[in-house]
Amino acid sequence: MRKVLRSSALQEVLALIIMLALIVVIMASASHLFLTPRNLTNLLIDSTTVGIIAVFSTMLMISGGLDLSVASTAALCGVVIGALQVSLGLWSAVLIALATGALVGLINGLLVTFVGINPLITTLGMLSIARGLAFVFSNGLTIPVFDLSGEHMAAYNAFARLSEGRWLGLPYPVWVMLLLFVLGLIVLNLSSYGRAMYAIGGNEEASQLAALAVKRYRLAAYVLSGLSAALAAVFLTSRLYAADPRAAPGVELTVITAVVLGGTSLAGGQGNLLGTFLGVLILSSLLNGMKLQSTSTELQNIVQGLVLLLAVAIDQVRNGNLQFTFFKRWQKSKQT
Amino acid sequence: MSVPLLEMRAIHKAFYGVKVLQDVPLTLDRGEVLALLGENGAGKSTLIKILNGDYQLDSGQIFLEGQPVYFKEPRDAEANGIKMIYQELHYAPDLSVAENLFIGNLPRVAGPLGRFLIDWKQMRQDAKVALALLNVDIDPDTSMRDLTVVERQIVEIIKAIYADAKLLVMDEPTAALTPPEVEMLFDVVRRLREKGVAIIYISHRLDEIFQIAQRVTVLRDGRHVATKPMSEVSPASLVEMMVGREIEARQVELAEQNDSAEVALEIRQLRKAGVFEDISFKVHSGEIVSIFGLLGSGQISLTRSIFGAERYDSGSIFVYGQEKHIRKPQDGKQAGIGFVPIDRKVRGLVLGMSVRKNLTLSNWKNLSRLSFFLPQTERQHSQSWIDALGIRMAGGMEVPVRFLSGGNQQKVVLARWLEANVKVLILNEPTWGVDVGARSDIYDQLEMLAEKGLAILVVSSDIQEVLSISHRILTLYKGRLTAEFNHTEASQDKVLNAAAGGVL
Repeated sequence: MRKVLRSSALQEVLALIIMLALIVVIMASASHLFLTPRNLTNLLIDSTTVGIIAVFSTMLMISGGLDLSVASTAALCGVVIGALQVSLGLWSAVLIALATGALVGLINGLLVTFVGINPLITTLGMLSIARGLAFVFSNGLTIPVFDLSGEHMAAYNAFARLSEGRWLGLPYPVWVMLLLFVLGLIVLNLSSYGRAMYAIGGNEEASQLAALAVKRYRLAAYVLSGLSAALAAVFLTSRLYAADPRAAPGVELTVITAVVLGGTSLAGGQGNLLGTFLGVLILSSLLNGMKLQSTSTELQNIVQGLVLLLAVAIDQVRNGNLQFTFFKRWQKSKQT
Repeated sequence: MSVPLLEMRAIHKAFYGVKVLQDVPLTLDRGEVLALLGENGAGKSTLIKILNGDYQLDSGQIFLEGQPVYFKEPRDAEANGIKMIYQELHYAPDLSVAENLFIGNLPRVAGPLGRFLIDWKQMRQDAKVALALLNVDIDPDTSMRDLTVVERQIVEIIKAIYADAKLLVMDEPTAALTPPEVEMLFDVVRRLREKGVAIIYISHRLDEIFQIAQRVTVLRDGRHVATKPMSEVSPASLVEMMVGREIEARQVELAEQNDSAEVALEIRQLRKAGVFEDISFKVHSGEIVSIFGLLGSGQISLTRSIFGAERYDSGSIFVYGQEKHIRKPQDGKQAGIGFVPIDRKVRGLVLGMSVRKNLTLSNWKNLSRLSFFLPQTERQHSQSWIDALGIRMAGGMEVPVRFLSGGNQQKVVLARWLEANVKVLILNEPTWGVDVGARSDIYDQLEMLAEKGLAILVVSSDIQEVLSISHRILTLYKGRLTAEFNHTEASQDKVLNAAAGGVL
């Protein structure tokens, strides 16, 4: 039994690796630019916004939660940096942006755990609110984030280095993303926080009756999700030298697609970060490859939507919720 | 002798090479109640599902009134007058009894408008006739939601009869019923028999089987053990047939309760408006106290409140003399109280997680440092409880707990609280859905734990269980404690009477 289970998780990871390899092969054969070091680096940098957020979205979704507001929150946090950089100084603005992300997450969490609004609706509302606030604070304009006066060279140079600096050939944001994946993997598998995520997502009531501090864990997961959006915003702002209220369009969709594609169940209780990591790479490769073919954004959106639906369908089959007779029979024969 | 209504011959069924049924026969006459007995996994439900067309048999034959039949799907079985009455009934809660009875076949008004208009008057009349058929006193205009569990079951049965069912299969129909409700159901069953309807009755409760069945078929490990008239068997012989070995009639040898034992749990004047009132009692260290009450008397709510899973309005809870303010389960645990909920699959276990992780769910402190688990320590702790309680599982502690049998799952929940080092253990219906063999195993464990000084509070609706495991029995009626019996003075009549408010 143990071997069977292990191998089924292994099979999923293997399937993702094969999927990734296929996409890489297709994209590489379609464009000789795809496999150049320069493009691969770009691909990785482009994946950091989604990747950083996806680490914490995975934890949140394993616990049965969901956060659709991450992209708007990231835009809001970027705008906070842009709006406050002059009056408070750049680094204070960055700290306040991080706090803003955590606060948004806290509000999401409080609404879900204590008021009892379902996560989808709560964070859908927050998606709209945060994006709206981003436009309000920026007057709808892109705010440049570089040293206009020339008085704070050091601070602005350091801020730019956050995304430009490299170590072993890879930009810092990529390292941060990898580090978060590794730390997340350790936390999910070995810490009580990770265990709580799985337990709560698997059976909330049983977790509660086992005297787990369910609400506190849930709250923490939402706060971390908001914080991760803020962190992604910091790197994005650094990279673009600007805060744009329109930033990170559709990122919440990409995040959820990557997480679900990676094997995290929408119903909660199941999931792993290795899968999410592969999911992020698969989507980034797909989008990057399409960009190289000068595919329109619209078509990219359509493909991404299709991948999300495919991933959700796979999740449904895995959970045995698909109502096709064929699957029902298949499931029935499997159960007994 | 005439042709039996149903004859199943030499039924074989295997799933992926695992033989679930081997050479199983079953016969049933008109107007007969046949009890189908066996432990979980003995093949009862597979046999029934074959009869119902849910599964296809590998070999064997089914004859209905002497004619060979073959059911491809449940619809075929229903068309031939075979109807399942499930534990979880399917009904439209907001529609009336009459509407539920005739749903799918509603009487229409005469004339061309009949396509669109329902003849409500006719329907109500038909419903009254149908209800009167079995002498049932239910108003056809009541909505299903407002009926009791047993009334809903009866409506379901009448619906089946009205659709010309000749054979009903009732699977644990009394699991959620109170004694008077069981009586009501049995009345209906007896009337069905008079009308020639045959019934296959599946139940774990032997006393019921002796009340209602004429014959019994016992299965064990997918094989037919025996089919006998009820007059030729005894509860002990049935259990022996089911389990395959002799189980001693449970010797009630509770260790003498020491009067000087410390009071572990004391409840004073606990009250929750509309649910329970004026509840005061004590449980001593080393003592097993049961609360017995009819379903809905407030016992579940009471124990949940003591643990913190629900809020109470007023009153106080003392654990070893210290007052504890319990508002949430964490408080309960902090106070040294453990809680085994009523439905372990829904409320007790995270079914997809491993045995180990379920086992340690309530106490991570001793197993982790800086909130990171020490895998070695966790495995050792888990293993020691698996050994101590005799938890049996195929494949070790990493197997998802969903694959364990009911009894072993219950032990996992039990072990969780022992690992959390509680001093007071509250158990709700500890042996629901647990095999006879595992049941006595759990009783042994409880006794052993009590001997070690744990205070144990049990809520059970199984009177035999209550009588055999408790040092003291408290009866609850409509949210109030009505009587207290110690082990020697308690009897079935006395306890049932007190639990029914002294009206029986």
